[in-house]
Amino acid sequence: MREIVATVLENKRIADGIYSLTFAADEETVVRPGQFCMIGLVGFPLRRPIAVCQAAGERVTVCYQVRGSGTRSLARDYKAGEKLSVLLPLGNGFFVAPDEKRIAVVGGGVGIFPLISLIRACAGKKEIYAYMGFRNRAALCMEYEMQRADHLTLATDDGSVGFHGTSVQAFMSELDEVKPDAVFACGPTPMLRALKSAMSGRGIPVYVSLEERMGCGIGACLVCVCNRTGGAHARVCKDGPVFEIGDVEL
Amino acid sequence: MADLHIDLCGIRLKNPVIAASGTFGFGREFDEIYDISCLGGVATKGIASVPWAGNPVPRIAESRGVILNAVGLQNPGVEAFLAEDLPWLKQKTRVIANVVGRTYEDYEAVCARLDGLVDMVELNISCPNVTCGGMAFGIRPEAICEITARVRKQLTKTPLMVKLSPNVESIPANARAAERGGADCLSLVNTFTGMAVDIERRRPVLANNTGGVSGAGIKPIALRMVYEAAHAVSIPVVGMGGISCAEDAIEFMMAGAVAVQVGTQNFTDTRACPKIIAGINEWCDTHGVAAVGDLVNTLKLNEKERGTC
Repeated sequence: MREIVATVLENKRIADGIYSLTFAADEETVVRPGQFCMIGLVGFPLRRPIAVCQAAGERVTVCYQVRGSGTRSLARDYKAGEKLSVLLPLGNGFFVAPDEKRIAVVGGGVGIFPLISLIRACAGKKEIYAYMGFRNRAALCMEYEMQRADHLTLATDDGSVGFHGTSVQAFMSELDEVKPDAVFACGPTPMLRALKSAMSGRGIPVYVSLEERMGCGIGACLVCVCNRTGGAHARVCKDGPVFEIGDVEL
Repeated sequence: MADLHIDLCGIRLKNPVIAASGTFGFGREFDEIYDISCLGGVATKGIASVPWAGNPVPRIAESRGVILNAVGLQNPGVEAFLAEDLPWLKQKTRVIANVVGRTYEDYEAVCARLDGLVDMVELNISCPNVTCGGMAFGIRPEAICEITARVRKQLTKTPLMVKLSPNVESIPANARAAERGGADCLSLVNTFTGMAVDIERRRPVLANNTGGVSGAGIKPIALRMVYEAAHAVSIPVVGMGGISCAEDAIEFMMAGAVAVQVGTQNFTDTRACPKIIAGINEWCDTHGVAAVGDLVNTLKLNEKERGTC
């Protein structure tokens, strides 16, 4: 975990409201799949937590959705050459056990981005079944990256591309044939809830990456907590963002 | 290199910069970014007699130049603090244990347990985010005097700092009440009660509806309040509220603060505290100030022409 001054290499729109930002860290940066970074923006007291899609050498790529004034500033004001204060790598990330040879990756909306890093890390080493959901064709992005999976199913809410429905529905329709050793998911809370109830009692481990509003991003301030099953709190930034789905309330 | 050390109620701090309660945990996470032994001290996360769960999420929101938080004093309780955090933190820096409670007995029990084990206790009677206790003890002068006097009796070895709320009628009256109750020093300000609205959902951003406002935007108000407190009492005052650079810290010291606390800026810039320490040193050097303590209470007010009303 370091605080660095990064240089923006590229910051471009890749889909409706979605941007891909690549920056150069000050030195080679090892980021595990599912880890995130906190990006500081001039004029904003809080850093923005954003999942890392890809880290190779000094180059780190993150994708984000323009949602409020902070991400609007990030998209508008940080062109190639600009400096960014970044804290990284943060959080626990995904861990795929050696005996988990066949994995399913289920993503929805901006939840696909941390899963891209997992697909990249596991490509060629695991048999990957990816189910990626989008609102519609205009929101679809990163198709090339997702195709690194051995089997890719796209889903859209309006049926304009691929499976007509959610990525969870697409995944559940094939679960009995695919028989994954483990499932890795990220997306909106209703999607994760649907996955949790559909997978309950099947004996297949399901790991979810959670999103929460954060303060420090390093585990000190106790702002971004989630409820563990049984009532205790966990810090999404430090104990997570990845949890076994049965360990957390959604 | 200026002499940066200060003396606070007989405790020597290597410099006047203390990490503010609630933004810094018990110091471990920030120590992964930089060695926190460079700090003057750490005011810990609020500590209760038993673990507290805190409020539902979202617990944080942002507005222009400020943030709002409603963490609700989630903490592991005094025994976990003593067993797991204090031994480590103590060998790093000065430990100012922030104490919270819902009843007089809660506060008394935690203070009695901490007496002699920490460098100082900071009595948190000013948190706006808990429904009972917290700020309820920190609004009226009589209540402030009473709780201060009660916990003072539990602290035979450890100095007591009382942290004041800005959400009150009179800062001078409350500062004097804490002094009367036996406080060894004061700290202020805690956060201002505020609100932020998500206009798409037409709901408050915070699950708690309201939260404590902090950050650079509150600095001028906090500075005025610190000035008022410092000039109302004869005990030392530790200033905080929106300090985000060395110049801000120097303003507070000139207004009467012996030391300062830095909170929200730790989120904006993880290395805020060491940068502020270095900046104070540099300012002292370039301005011929040999010791940082020489800055304290050096503010001279302008002569105001008497207006007619």
